[in-house]
Amino acid sequence: MLNLIFCELLKLKRSKMLPLSIVGALATPIMMLLEALQTHFEHPEQSFTLSDIYENSLLYVMLLMNMLIYVAITAYLFSREYTEKTLKTILPVPVSRNKLVNVKFFTLLIWSIMLSVVSWIGSLVLSTIYHFIFGLDDFYFTASLQWLIKFVLSGIMMFFTVSPFAFLAEKTKGLVAPMIISAVMVMGNVALCNQNIGALYPWTATFFLLEGKTESTGYPILLSIGIIIFVSVIGFCVTFHYFKKEDLK
Amino acid sequence: MEYIIETENLVKQYGAATVVNNINIHVPRGNIYGLLGRNGAGKTTAMRMMLNLVFPTSGTIYLFGVDCRENTEKLYCKIGSIVETPGFYENLTAYENLELLRRLRGKQKKEYVQDALKVVGLQNERTKPFSDYSLGMKQRLGIAAAIMHKPELLILDEPINGLDPIGISEIRLLLSELSQKYGTTIFISSHVLNEIEQIADIIGVMHEGKLIEEVNVEGLHKSNRRYLEFKVSDTLAAVKLLENHYRITDYLIQEDTIRVYDHTYNSGEINKCFINNELLVTQVNVYEENLEDYFSTLIGGGGIA
Repeated sequence: MLNLIFCELLKLKRSKMLPLSIVGALATPIMMLLEALQTHFEHPEQSFTLSDIYENSLLYVMLLMNMLIYVAITAYLFSREYTEKTLKTILPVPVSRNKLVNVKFFTLLIWSIMLSVVSWIGSLVLSTIYHFIFGLDDFYFTASLQWLIKFVLSGIMMFFTVSPFAFLAEKTKGLVAPMIISAVMVMGNVALCNQNIGALYPWTATFFLLEGKTESTGYPILLSIGIIIFVSVIGFCVTFHYFKKEDLK
Repeated sequence: MEYIIETENLVKQYGAATVVNNINIHVPRGNIYGLLGRNGAGKTTAMRMMLNLVFPTSGTIYLFGVDCRENTEKLYCKIGSIVETPGFYENLTAYENLELLRRLRGKQKKEYVQDALKVVGLQNERTKPFSDYSLGMKQRLGIAAAIMHKPELLILDEPINGLDPIGISEIRLLLSELSQKYGTTIFISSHVLNEIEQIADIIGVMHEGKLIEEVNVEGLHKSNRRYLEFKVSDTLAAVKLLENHYRITDYLIQEDTIRVYDHTYNSGEINKCFINNELLVTQVNVYEENLEDYFSTLIGGGGIA
């Protein structure tokens, strides 16, 4: 299994997807800095804290930017074996189909957490620069550490909710369909992030749970968790089942 | 006889289409088995089933005498393969791609990678990623990947695709050497009948999903018929002369030519007889029915590829 993990990581060597995803994960902190600068110059009387920046960052990370990136990564990890026609080379080695999918999901999990941490680091670095130039209220490193836990958890939760896209990538053998569907899904996020029913939409439900907003929507937390689990379990099951039974023509 | 590959009523259907229809292939240990057939004959699907890439609709595949669905890890580590154009990770170099396969196999010596690259002449391609390779280089890397772990069985689907004539010759020599020196069993498909003819011990012919012939090449060469061909002005008069003067009855008339399969008399003697009897002979040839003719006849004309 360790060899499989090593090989999966080796496959990413010189891959453009890795630096691109890191740049993508830094987009949210940059957007936050621009927003902070705009607020500073337009409404100098307004003050905000490090936590405010992290809260907004988490919203963009979970509902917009990183969600798109994680879907792109998922589609890349699962479809590249088809587009580069490598399955006919590695499966007869032999490599177990189940193990291969397992390792891909594991890589996706590590990658998602890593990108969430990149977003956190980006927010911290840019907030620090802002703090030294313009000043931020309640700027404590310990506060940012609390947000680190939330960002890592967001990466883990998003990993679970992107599992259906792995199946979609396997089925369509490319990036296009998952990316189009993810764009629709993100539009759903935008529409529902301020609605109570967002607690029942798996991709906003994760954000509500992490921010402790689910209770205020009036929907039971267990129902929200149940929907997230249902979507991710279905995603994992169909991905494993399809790959195990698929004829590689 | 010990068969390294043996299929039993192997069938593959996609919907209503039967791509592989009840084939029974027998590949003896240490032999080179050439699988021939036109595009769409079912060769690649049969090979993919042997490599566990495609699942049979029915039938069984025995590899090394064992059902290929049992103990796959032990069975497949003894096999090297290429299926059509080899697929490798585009962003990795030849060395990295082989290193990845070495690690996936586990318990393999590190030198195997460099040795395999040397065999196919790619040892100096240290920095070029696979995406920048020519088709011939990709094919060479595929061969290196197939042989690097010193397998007992090679399953090669169109391995010489994209290779230049020198490359083809090198690969032919390599395969012959592997078979003769190390006793490697090779199951190879190709469109190039001539190539298969030169290296194979046994030839199987697939047509429309069926295995219509499985024949020993040596026996086939022995049974190939030589014939004399005369292009004459009057075939009926010529036939009369053949029957009356030489008692030849083994002949075939094709428009204005006669094929004589009887080797009792030489072409000069028969030609002289025709001329003496005022027949105009415009062409005399000595032919040997080659494998292509044989297989073309077998699958109903139009060539094997």
